[in-house]
Amino acid sequence: MALLNLKDVKKIYQQGEIEVPALNGINIYIEEGEFTTIFGPSGSGKTTFLNMIGCLDKPTSGEIYFNEKNLKDLNKKELADIRRYNIGFIFQSYNLIPVLTAYENVEFALRLIDGETDEDIKNKVMKILADVGLEGLEERKPNELSGGQKQRVAVARALVKEPKLILADEPTANLDSKTGKEVIEIMLKMNEQLNTTFIFSTHDPKVMDYATRLIEIRDGLISDDERR
Amino acid sequence: MFLLKLAFKNLTRHRKRTLITASIIAVAVVIFLAFDSILLGLNDASYKNIINYSTSEMQVVKNEYWENKDNLPLNNLIKENQEFINKLSSYSIIEGYSRKLIFRARLNNGIDELPIKAVGVKGDEINKTLDLKSKIIEGEFFLNGEKHAVLGKELADLMDLDYGDYLTLLVRTKEDTFNTIELEIGGLLSTPNPDINQNNLYLPLNIAQNSLNLDNEFSHLLIKTNNNIDIGKKAANLENELKNINKNLKVVPWNDLTAVSVMTAKQGANQMILGIILLLAAIGIINTVILAALERMEEIGMMKAMGMKRSEIIISFVMESTGLAIIGGILGCFFGAGVVFFMNKYGIDFAALYNINIEEFGIPIIDNIYGEWKITSFFFVFIFSVIVSLISSIFPAYWAANKNPVDAIHHR
Repeated sequence: MALLNLKDVKKIYQQGEIEVPALNGINIYIEEGEFTTIFGPSGSGKTTFLNMIGCLDKPTSGEIYFNEKNLKDLNKKELADIRRYNIGFIFQSYNLIPVLTAYENVEFALRLIDGETDEDIKNKVMKILADVGLEGLEERKPNELSGGQKQRVAVARALVKEPKLILADEPTANLDSKTGKEVIEIMLKMNEQLNTTFIFSTHDPKVMDYATRLIEIRDGLISDDERR
Repeated sequence: MFLLKLAFKNLTRHRKRTLITASIIAVAVVIFLAFDSILLGLNDASYKNIINYSTSEMQVVKNEYWENKDNLPLNNLIKENQEFINKLSSYSIIEGYSRKLIFRARLNNGIDELPIKAVGVKGDEINKTLDLKSKIIEGEFFLNGEKHAVLGKELADLMDLDYGDYLTLLVRTKEDTFNTIELEIGGLLSTPNPDINQNNLYLPLNIAQNSLNLDNEFSHLLIKTNNNIDIGKKAANLENELKNINKNLKVVPWNDLTAVSVMTAKQGANQMILGIILLLAAIGIINTVILAALERMEEIGMMKAMGMKRSEIIISFVMESTGLAIIGGILGCFFGAGVVFFMNKYGIDFAALYNINIEEFGIPIIDNIYGEWKITSFFFVFIFSVIVSLISSIFPAYWAANKNPVDAIHHR
């Protein structure tokens, strides 16, 4: 079943009187459980593509279906609800809240979801932190963690609410190759265990090796789409 | 609950900034409490001065006299009447009364002359309504019939007169003819009310009446009640009762006097100034929230990406500002209590401190001005500062929460 279906998606940014096209008509299906890498040169439209499917931005034209729901028909609040329950984000610069501990940063994602008891939250957070290899580091604040550990916290934060889709914008760009590999392996493990769909952009060929699908974007268009 | 925890933790993010902003609020709170306390003390002292040395709690006058009272007329006076006195004596709320006849006079020391306010009173009843006798610093209050005068020490000094000296009062009688009254200074007064010290001269009522060709008439009947509560209502009731004797009688409570209205108006103006001070605290809060929002733009973007709603982001910022105001308010109330304690115990000598004569500002107080405690002011200013902070943080919080998530995430 297609989790995402993009039909002729275009995005044009207006910079003063100049129109800057970022996406020039993207058509693509993404199935549930796929581990997909988006790659392409800088300025090719990778981040714009992720923003569109992450419900953070709306296309200038074309349609995006998330779980068979047309995003064009949804207002800001409904889009926020989709992000809240169905999408997890992993950022290049982690974007952790510095005053919260690793535990609290992960807890934060669950606190946004209704109906979770304190006991459930505690169990889920402790389990996911253990799964990403941060057992014993729960009370550390971001400034007491290494880059790799911070990104693991960010991965745990994205995964803890068990979303259908996780979007990662160059998640390993700030990590050394060994740590980057570890983080990708954790993501892959979660993909296998929970059947979560992962879409991440990267420049790193070693990271691409893990992907089950490789999508290349050039000049706002999909230039290559390879399943492995 | 989690938002509250986040707001609290955010307060610890930049401790110095939190402390500085809280200090701004605290300073505003302390200034408010100090001003409020001194104003209360000032008002209280002013009211006491009016009641104890000038008007007592109520005054009975004739309507026509009251309309023209500033000219100190010698017509429309109250005529001594036994039925009237009996009626007053029958009221249980009346603790004492005394007659007073105010008239214009010129004080002559043999060389110079000065216009003053002469007050005819009965030496044996003045103590029932006013506290003048305890303020005699030299000599004593006269008995009825004694050709003695009591005047303020400042007035005596100005006219180069002293205890035991003789003085002459030049007066106009009821028929507008001239007369003189020669008196020996039997006592000198020093009250906390500068108007009395500088302008008033007291003489026996019967001498004044005879010299002005008045037949047992007086201008005011001062009344002291068993307590100063609900004085307006008591005055209205008494006025109704006295209408049976004389329809023209009016009972004026002390708080109806113009001087009191002026002081209340001054207090209103000062409250406005204090509002401006608290506004400065609001600017501090707005500045802090904007700084925090700019600093945390990427976090805001992340929160929006995670599905946090605009209202939730606004609430988290507003809670943070409220926390700041609570810290500032507590600090302000704590230090404010210290300042009020000091002013209440030791008072402030404005004259010595700033080399100013506070009497020139129309405030009938001399010596130290003491602050007053008013617990409700502490609650008021605390709640007010919290509300001001809360309201002033909404706009910048809204601005932050309204940012496009994509722009916020990539904000650098």
